[in-house]
Amino acid sequence: MQTKSVVAEDLGGIVGKENVREATAEDTIDGVEPSLVVEPGSVEEIGAVMKLASREGLAVSPRGGGTKAGWGAPPRALDLVLSMARMDEITEHVPGDQIVRTQSGVKFGALQEKLAEANQMLALDPPEKDATVGGVVAANSSGPRRYKYGTVRDLIIGITVVLADGTIAKAGGKVVKNVAGYDLSKLFTGSFGTLGVIADANFRLHPRPEAVRTVAVEVESPQAARDAAQAIVHSQVEATAVELHWGEETKLVSVLLESIPDGIGAKEEAASFLLKSFGKERTLDEEADDLRPPSTDSAGYEVDIKIGAPPAELTSVLDSILNAAERRGATVSMTGHAGSGVTYAGLSGEEDDLVGLVEEVREIRTRSGGSVIVRRAPASFKDKVDVWGPAGDYLGLTRRVKEKFDPGYFMNPGRFIGGI
Amino acid sequence: MDRGRLIETMQEILGPQGVIYEREQLRTYECDGLMNYRVIPELVVLPESAEHVQKIVQTCYDEGIPFVARGSGTGLSGGALPVESGVLIVLSRMRKILEVDLENQRIVVEPGVINIWVSQEVADEGYYYAPDPASQIVSSIGGNLAENSGGVHCLKYGFTTNHVMGAEVVLPDGSIVHIGGGMVPDAPGYELLGAFVGSEGTLGIATKITLRLVRKPEAVRTLLAAFTDTEEAGGAVSGIIGAGIVPAAIEMMDALTIEAVEKQVAPGFPEAGALLIVELDGPEAEVASQFDQVIEVCQENEASEIRVAEDDEERALFWKGRKAAFGAMGSISNDYYVQDGVVPRTELGTVLKRISDLSNDYQLRVANVFHAGDGNLHPLVLYDNDVPGEAEKAEELAGDIVFVCLEHGGSLTGEHGIGQDKKKYMPKMFTTDDMDVMQLLRCAFDPHQICNPGKIFPTPRLCGERPGPFHMHPVQKAGLAENF
Amino acid sequence: MTERNGSGEDRYDATDATERRHPEGTAREQAMAGAIGAGSPEDVGQGVGEASSLADEATVGAGRRETGSVSFPAFDAHHPPDKDLIDDCVHCGFCLPTCPTYVLFGEEMDSPRGRIYLMNKGLTEEPLNDQMVRHFDLCLGCMACVTACPSGVQYDKLIESTRQQVERRYERAPEDKAFREMIFQFFPYPNRLRALAAPMRLYQRFGIGDKLRRAGIMQRIPARMRAMEALLPDLPKEEKIPDLTGPIGERRRRVGVLTGCVQRVFFSPANAATVRVLAAEGCEVVAPKQGCCGALSTHAGREEESLDFARKTIDTFENLNLDNVIVNAAGCGSTMKEYGYLLRDDPEYAERAKAFSAKVRDVTEFLQELGPVAERNPLPVTAAYHDACHLAHAQGIRRQPRQTLKQIPGMDVKEIREAEICCGSAGIYNMIEPEPAAELGERKANNILKTGAQMIVTSNPGCMLQIQSSLKRMGQDGLPMVHPMEVLDASLRGEPVETLLDK
Repeated sequence: MQTKSVVAEDLGGIVGKENVREATAEDTIDGVEPSLVVEPGSVEEIGAVMKLASREGLAVSPRGGGTKAGWGAPPRALDLVLSMARMDEITEHVPGDQIVRTQSGVKFGALQEKLAEANQMLALDPPEKDATVGGVVAANSSGPRRYKYGTVRDLIIGITVVLADGTIAKAGGKVVKNVAGYDLSKLFTGSFGTLGVIADANFRLHPRPEAVRTVAVEVESPQAARDAAQAIVHSQVEATAVELHWGEETKLVSVLLESIPDGIGAKEEAASFLLKSFGKERTLDEEADDLRPPSTDSAGYEVDIKIGAPPAELTSVLDSILNAAERRGATVSMTGHAGSGVTYAGLSGEEDDLVGLVEEVREIRTRSGGSVIVRRAPASFKDKVDVWGPAGDYLGLTRRVKEKFDPGYFMNPGRFIGGI
Repeated sequence: MDRGRLIETMQEILGPQGVIYEREQLRTYECDGLMNYRVIPELVVLPESAEHVQKIVQTCYDEGIPFVARGSGTGLSGGALPVESGVLIVLSRMRKILEVDLENQRIVVEPGVINIWVSQEVADEGYYYAPDPASQIVSSIGGNLAENSGGVHCLKYGFTTNHVMGAEVVLPDGSIVHIGGGMVPDAPGYELLGAFVGSEGTLGIATKITLRLVRKPEAVRTLLAAFTDTEEAGGAVSGIIGAGIVPAAIEMMDALTIEAVEKQVAPGFPEAGALLIVELDGPEAEVASQFDQVIEVCQENEASEIRVAEDDEERALFWKGRKAAFGAMGSISNDYYVQDGVVPRTELGTVLKRISDLSNDYQLRVANVFHAGDGNLHPLVLYDNDVPGEAEKAEELAGDIVFVCLEHGGSLTGEHGIGQDKKKYMPKMFTTDDMDVMQLLRCAFDPHQICNPGKIFPTPRLCGERPGPFHMHPVQKAGLAENF
Repeated sequence: MTERNGSGEDRYDATDATERRHPEGTAREQAMAGAIGAGSPEDVGQGVGEASSLADEATVGAGRRETGSVSFPAFDAHHPPDKDLIDDCVHCGFCLPTCPTYVLFGEEMDSPRGRIYLMNKGLTEEPLNDQMVRHFDLCLGCMACVTACPSGVQYDKLIESTRQQVERRYERAPEDKAFREMIFQFFPYPNRLRALAAPMRLYQRFGIGDKLRRAGIMQRIPARMRAMEALLPDLPKEEKIPDLTGPIGERRRRVGVLTGCVQRVFFSPANAATVRVLAAEGCEVVAPKQGCCGALSTHAGREEESLDFARKTIDTFENLNLDNVIVNAAGCGSTMKEYGYLLRDDPEYAERAKAFSAKVRDVTEFLQELGPVAERNPLPVTAAYHDACHLAHAQGIRRQPRQTLKQIPGMDVKEIREAEICCGSAGIYNMIEPEPAAELGERKANNILKTGAQMIVTSNPGCMLQIQSSLKRMGQDGLPMVHPMEVLDASLRGEPVETLLDK
């Protein structure tokens, strides 16, 4: 391995001197500080950078907006941060075909704005502000709209990736219906930057809804929350999102409805009718009700976890975590996509108590096939609790996939399941 | 392992009723829905459980014998074409519905369960299984999974991959894994299930499949609109999509197809240069309003006749006319070649014109029926096998059509898969690097390349050293492969 | 679009198919049909079922009668399976889920697609041997595949010519040959069947069958004999039909009736009812002295024999000045409508056969054509209508029997799930291949029981025997089975429901 300055010089030769710099404390990931940060501006540059990096044996971490830098297990090694900031072009938007091709460094918000000009949207609503498209794909971020539209895997139709050794490859295409070759777009979704760098991605779009309403009810108990959500899920209302908020003061189930102006009234009525037997109807107030997911920094929670469970098990999900929290003197606040079975919990309390809490909840959930993943937590916490939880019988296969794409273990080493 | 021993071993696992080895009987399995390619398998085995499948695959792995999985054998790209000296594993006897969980809207089935049975099973409760390929009365869920089958309703509802939640898979080395979370979302790890669906049986065999069920919509409205030609009809399609409407289905048939369908099925379609079938579903108020809009758009585009289905029977009749299209070709032509191509919807008009030009150049008729909403075309090249040379011409023409699709930013295949049939075209869509990287996935699942080898990729790549004495892969022996 | 041998019946007539759907019919069936836009549920194929237990004895493995007989080429020049018809098959596989043997065994060789493939290979390269014959023999000839096929393949013609070839060119095992001969020495000859009737009545009266069963002796008798024994119905007193019956009221048509063989001997009340109904609807009914129509022989590929019966039947009816020839048994009607095709090679009969076939009608088909005039009295009863394959698939007649029943006030006609799957009777199939027949019979019986109907209505003696014996084996033999004409007759005569339920 060459010295830092030589590497920096070589990198400068690829991307231009001004796009390479020394790393600072802000580039740290879970207490591990890299040496350099590089910002390539094209797929070819990414390829050349990766070739160099693997030749030099550097551990690389791709980065978009850095909003999810704290997720995953702490890296085993980290030398180079590959920032996608300059890959910020929306390559092609064809409203008539309802597709968009975009480089991965494009800010998600900017993309949505552009699409809105043609009255379209990428039907994802990840909560992290300043996230980039690449980050959303790599982390499989999702928001309330996943209930109706699905997650990244259901909307991505093409991808260009750069592997650790610099190979550039594409899969999928510009058309929604496409079964030629393997679906690498899906493979890379949620891969946490461990298989390669996502250089660009193509998505299928939807028309922006003309009319949007929200209906909400206050619920008194986990059972009521679950039943309210299930009532909507099993109806013919075709809701866009079914959300849960469970905090000290606020406990409610809210339903997002989208339609055309002629149809929204009927939808609202139908949803209201279904929900009213479970609690008092509530109109939502953006300011008074803090409905943001606990993962936002200002929420003041030490640890935040993501729970996956069959949607009909919501009562048990809430009960088990509330009980565990009470017994350990921890506070918990939850939001969730109640219609899809995903719940986010923000936890506050003594670290050891929280460790016990998470382990207990994880044990209960895993028994019925669910999962508990630690998203954001202090490094000390991550030392005590496995971020990802027990991997299923597919761990061996997962390792083999990793070893084929990144045999040198250069990409985000140690941050994924099973220590990958 | 010699043939006799192999037969014995398989009979020990499955009993004599599970092993077919006599030539005439093997011949009935030599092709799937695509008759252009035929290979007689060494052996056909019919497992009845996941355990059987595992033992069969284990044997194949230990002995280095390639195998191919087959469901109902209705695929149109030769995906279930047997491999010579290989075993054909037919899943048609694994057809139990294992678990129905309406609360979580999921159902677990064995791979030989036929697509339509899933909807039937839960119809009384008000649910159904959305992916509806035209072959759904006979194609199996396992086959749907391998090909990521679509159907007429995929514009709104997506394809098989959007409705498969989990699968138990027997890997080519005989081990069993459970990928996807079942009904539990976002299982930690790679999206292995997403990569597996649509992998055309080259990564393993699914032995239990968890599917997502969808609640039946409150209202359904269907109409038939007649236009002078496909261009006009295409204008209507653009208008509908442009208005922000997402129809449940939007299909187009051209004059030749209408003629054939009328002859064979006689649904009483109006005479037209092109017919559109548009279906909307969802909450009543929404559907009613949008349906009026659709009618308006059709009128704006000079529809000569618009027929709204008055009731379920009429609606069923419209769809019968559409779904019988392939089979009906037999009434206006001795033989036909079904092609499957995809283009961006905005290119449809241009591409259809080019197909028409090609048809004239080759002096062969081409009937067009397609999913207008997502640009997935099914040109049917009509020919007569008895006329010498015509079959080859037809294949050439079909190939040219696919190239036209690629030229206009489309894909080699929208729903039928690459299989055996389109391997040779892969280099036109993907670079060597693209295919090499895809095959990395294959190497991770199937390092010994025994699982449906020779499909999808024109040149297989070997995946590194194998323990034990070096066996030269038959393809390598033939000088057609390289070591990866 | 193919017409059925001059009868003008449209197989794809939309009104025909959809009127079949009872308003209270299972949501499941309608959903199934609706989901794929099928014109009617029977275009869809069978429903959910467990893998058959018979897979244990599937054709692949044990239980085959092998003689080692090999013929090469497989087929001779006299009516081999028609290459043009074979070429109509595009291998799409839509026939598979609707084929009873594919449902039972799950193997390609026992599906219409596979059988056509074997025929094709026989035409070109493969010999006719044990395995091939086995698969042809296992075909029930139910023609559900013909209904399901989107390409219009005429499988019925293919299997018939293939069976003829098998009869000519394949050497059967001696006991197989003997058994078949025995069947054909008896079943097409009502007098011989009748001669068996007396000893059979004694056999039944003294419960000899049960005694043999209890003594364990029954088990030692070959399966086929056991199957035949189990099929024996309780014999009613024979109701005779007059040679000529005058119309009630104005004469609208002059028709002849086929009295059948098994029908005449074992189900004579159905014949008597048929004649009475026809007379009530204004027909002059002629019932000449007659023989067998040859259906069983035709479906078994016994060419000479079947043509002989066909000629004799034509001779019997053609000079009687008849507007139509009415048939109340599905299998017979189907064959008689084919006489024109069967006798196409015979210069003496070809034209006459065509003219004859054009006059043949199933009785419900005929009644609906004619239009009902006689007053129907109410019969408040729930009935499950069973489609005989040779009526529904072969002749495309589904609407008319249902209409006939629904025209009776108070009748509640229930649809049977998996209606398009054969009950296993299939001519002589349930005697020749008792195991698959038994499984299919049980399946059908279960589906019938699930309707909760008080009685079963069907127009084929074979089906009646098969379903009755299946129900009996399941301990459920209390359910009465009647012919549609018996039902209509009861209604016309103002008889109470008990008349039917006591049968």
